[in-house]
Amino acid sequence: MRIESSTAVFLDDSGAVSIAQLTEQSGLNEAEVQMLVECGALEPRDAAASGLRFSSGCVTTARMARRLRDDFALDDAHAVALLLRFVQRIEELERQLRAVK
Amino acid sequence: MKYKDYYATLGVERTANSDDIKAAYRKLARKYHPDVSKEAGAEEKFKDVSEAYETLKDPEKRAAYDQLGRHAPGDEFRPPPDWQQSFGDTQFSFDDLDLADLFAGLAGRGGGGRRAPNAPIPGQDFEGAVNLSFDQAYKGTEIELDMSVAERDANGVLRRVPRKIRVRIPKGVTDGQKLRVPGKGGKGVNGGRDGDLYLDIAVQAHPLYRADGLDLYMELPLAPWEAVLGATVEVPTPAGRVTLRVPAGTRAGQKLRLAGRGLSRPDGSTGHLYAVAQIAVPTVVDDRQRALFEQLKDASSFNPRAHMVD
Repeated sequence: MRIESSTAVFLDDSGAVSIAQLTEQSGLNEAEVQMLVECGALEPRDAAASGLRFSSGCVTTARMARRLRDDFALDDAHAVALLLRFVQRIEELERQLRAVK
Repeated sequence: MKYKDYYATLGVERTANSDDIKAAYRKLARKYHPDVSKEAGAEEKFKDVSEAYETLKDPEKRAAYDQLGRHAPGDEFRPPPDWQQSFGDTQFSFDDLDLADLFAGLAGRGGGGRRAPNAPIPGQDFEGAVNLSFDQAYKGTEIELDMSVAERDANGVLRRVPRKIRVRIPKGVTDGQKLRVPGKGGKGVNGGRDGDLYLDIAVQAHPLYRADGLDLYMELPLAPWEAVLGATVEVPTPAGRVTLRVPAGTRAGQKLRLAGRGLSRPDGSTGHLYAVAQIAVPTVVDDRQRALFEQLKDASSFNPRAHMVD
């Protein structure tokens, strides 16, 4: 049986998603996304008439936020945002370390 | 199906309230989460703890779990005959599912009340890791993933089945990139959207090129006279060898740009290849070469350590 091939799409600055797509793909609700925007953990690309738009890379960030929320059973969006920033900083440092080695 | 004692996994009594269960989970998550613990076996332990909490935090799932009865951990068991009828409209193939699949199949039941009949349930997202060679990342490639997923068959029975997914990886992916394959996750139910497949890309290091975004960097060893006098040299690029004009007076560390020779994406965006000059010194010189170097030393007033003089 022939298996159809599906094309993967980049999750980075090259694409854009609406807030509805971001909530659908991340598992966060709109209030949680708004809270992460207010805390500076997520940065909208622009504000269209239909609402905020984000780069596709934000899907990865939002999914990480949802994972941290669920993994640590966090109730507070501020705590999620703070933990997210630390995890992002650690990942960036690990990337820099790999580049130097 | 093997029994797991979720209460024992979390270290709580079977009568524990939801606050106690949450507190117990949080303590274990802090201890075993792979982002914070490097203990051997921590990741496996965290998976067990998460699975237990996922079921016990939801009142309906917890009730369904309690109705399975008590068994020794690891024992093969079957739910009581009336269990399926009590807990839903989903039929299960107990022979190929594990306990986690059983309660994932009750998804959408949380929030303290039964979900509306026939309410759409979105499919689960799947995640996978893909290892590519530099060449595959540069050109793009097609990969096949073998997964074992729990999904409903044509009769609505939840069972674990093998699934083969073929994915086209676009050219220009880099190490650490995340990709999304829409609709290739778990099947949605009652018209719920299918889940997606998320891929973590790892690209093997190349002996010559190092990627930074779409740009590539490589070392360009030059003989001292090439750096001083300038030269036209042949260098490799991922698309084939090209000639590069090295200007006279090129210093070590100086970057020479080969425009458009980096990674490129299907949308047309392209990076550059930077050749980073390194001055290579011959270690074996014959008498004539040594004599020429001595002459150069006597003729030159160049002091590379001038900035170090007090």
